Amino acid sequence: MTSQRDEPASIADLDFGDDLRPLRLTLEPEQIAEYVHSANQVAPRFLSDEGGQQDGLPGQIAPGNLSLAIFSRLLEQAAPGAQVQKISATFRAFVRPAVAMIASGVVTDVEDRDGGKLFECDLMLETEIGDRLVTGTGTVFVAL
Amino acid sequence: MILDLHAHTDASDDSRAPIEGYLKWLRKKRDLVPIDGIVLTEHRQWNPDVDYRDLEDRYEIVILRGAEVETDYGHILLYGVNDEMTARFDFSDVHLDAQTVVSEVEKLGGIAAPCHPGRPTIGLCEHYEHKAPLEGVLAVEALNGGSRRGENERVGQLMGAFGYKGFGGSDAHLVSLIGICATEFERDIRDVDDLVRELREGSYRAVDFREQVRAARG
Repeated sequence: MTSQRDEPASIADLDFGDDLRPLRLTLEPEQIAEYVHSANQVAPRFLSDEGGQQDGLPGQIAPGNLSLAIFSRLLEQAAPGAQVQKISATFRAFVRPAVAMIASGVVTDVEDRDGGKLFECDLMLETEIGDRLVTGTGTVFVAL
Repeated sequence: MILDLHAHTDASDDSRAPIEGYLKWLRKKRDLVPIDGIVLTEHRQWNPDVDYRDLEDRYEIVILRGAEVETDYGHILLYGVNDEMTARFDFSDVHLDAQTVVSEVEKLGGIAAPCHPGRPTIGLCEHYEHKAPLEGVLAVEALNGGSRRGENERVGQLMGAFGYKGFGGSDAHLVSLIGICATEFERDIRDVDDLVRELREGSYRAVDFREQVRAARG
């Protein structure tokens, strides 16, 4: 995965309505294949364009778990060392290799909890030209 | 007055947004999404027991309700839902007859308006390519905040060809997407009866806040 990110910033400094630092990335075909082998999720549609087309798809696609992993990385980048308690996602379109994408998030709720803060975030994975691929939410606990 | 006519709370199976999340967001982001009210249009359901009046008062935002049902011509938004309507139609049926829905909902005091018409499979445009046009449609969702490139553009041709009015809605399923597309009405709307009357006879237009939201987020 080729990706670009700025220096990590603590989510604890963020407030309701603030954006998480976005993550720009492009998945390469080999990386998707490597991921599904590591995740023991091997299926032809995740390995090659031919495999995807055999399943009636436009070509190779990334598995949903990989999109969740991208969301997890986005949250981890925003809150290094924090506890990611929950990630939910709705898969709206195929995530495909060689497509420049942006993972972004925004804080939609902050609650004080014993020993820290609980952050609710909207999460989105979209192409650079704005097509939404995966949307979701994340819950992160930051100890203070 | 500006209303977002199409939004889903976490009562819909594919939404992650609690109602109060929307209201907090709109209060905080009023400079970017100047919305006076929202219409919750949950998928395939109508809960007669929901009452948002306390939240309306607390957040000073109009909260109305409708529903989004599924038909043989794609998805249709229903405004002015009442007991007769829910007795007449099984909202959970994903194969409702669109012509019957449009005609009967009007007779029962509401309005049925196809949403995201430009979307493949579940939008009106594709169905009109190989089926007769529906009779009695007055308005369609001209601007849908969840549409992909090209989908909203197809609706302009549809409206021109059939003389439909156009409104806008965010189709929000996440808190931060509420109000990005909406409808500006010439007259004030305080309840569902006002909404139905204005959609049928009033003057309104779709408004788009996506660009200013995008610009603000950098």
